[in-house]
Amino acid sequence: MELFESFKSNAGSTRRRFIRESSKNLLMANRNQIPTSNSALIAMIADEDTVVGFLLAGVGNVDLRRKTNYLIVDSKTTVKQVEDAFKEFTTREDIAVILISQYVANMIRFLVDSYNKPVPAILEIPSKDHPYDPAHDSILSRVKYLFSAESVASGRR
Amino acid sequence: MEVVDHKTHNLENGQAAEEEEEVDENANVLQFMDSMDAYLTLIHSLSSNLRQGWLELASARHSMGAYRVNTVLLDHTSHPAATSLLVDEGKEPHFTLCKWGSSGNEKLFLGEEQSSRDKSHPEIRRRGATQLSEEKTTSENKASCEIDDPVQKERSKSLSVFGTLVSPKLRDAQLSFETALETLVEIANRRSEMLCAFDKVNKKSGGSKD
Repeated sequence: MELFESFKSNAGSTRRRFIRESSKNLLMANRNQIPTSNSALIAMIADEDTVVGFLLAGVGNVDLRRKTNYLIVDSKTTVKQVEDAFKEFTTREDIAVILISQYVANMIRFLVDSYNKPVPAILEIPSKDHPYDPAHDSILSRVKYLFSAESVASGRR
Repeated sequence: MEVVDHKTHNLENGQAAEEEEEVDENANVLQFMDSMDAYLTLIHSLSSNLRQGWLELASARHSMGAYRVNTVLLDHTSHPAATSLLVDEGKEPHFTLCKWGSSGNEKLFLGEEQSSRDKSHPEIRRRGATQLSEEKTTSENKASCEIDDPVQKERSKSLSVFGTLVSPKLRDAQLSFETALETLVEIANRRSEMLCAFDKVNKKSGGSKD
């Protein structure tokens, strides 16, 4: 407001300053694509149909550097690519959940099983051609020892 | 006599503490079992939601053509996710799904919106349709339409990647995957509960072994 008043009364440098400030404010107002500090993304490492389906549900994100929050795994995808995507998604602060097809998780099982942070949460999901197998789920593998004969016997002593 | 009373009192206190510990341990084990059961049930539900979604996607591909429902058409220009998560990173992380919230639009919080609407407008069965109830229902419909319009816009925006006119099967697939997403957020929360309960049970059993 003060700027506008000085613009009316003065000319030259003040006018230029007013125009500069106004355009800066307009630019800031249009920067409304930056996510809030509380919101987080869902990342995906899965086959084409699963990724397309979840993208239809609005999960897809592409940042200014054209980095996506998903990796489509097909017959040409290497284990290294899957590993790199997993490592990238688990270190990004804006990702809260990683969906990974179980057959893809089996390709990097050592990496998935050694991951033990609460966030981002790794969820193994079934795929079209590979149904879910609870025996391979990393979370269930971690807790299954509670049901083993040794743990039951030690509890009874 | 006093020494005997003191010993009996200590013994009773010890027994009470042990009983309390056992009650806590049982509660932890129960919580762990419940969350594991819920986790497995939700995984089963997710499998059926995903199967339905894949089938609808395949039907859409069949009617629209494989070249129209393709990852080649995906938008690689910079854009934010319309659906995101709110994370409460406490001792036990809790995830809340925010569906179809983009810049400037009202976010739809899963569960909270529905539960608040249920609490404020409980459905009352009436025999005759009175003018008052008709007015109430029209105002409720208007409110729900107002909330649904931005959501429908976001849904259409998401579908528009595959063209202006899309198969109804593609819309159905979108809804199926939205349902699957809701189930996944529940699974994430059950996972947190399960791991938290597992840590407690582990600590107790580790302490008792020592």
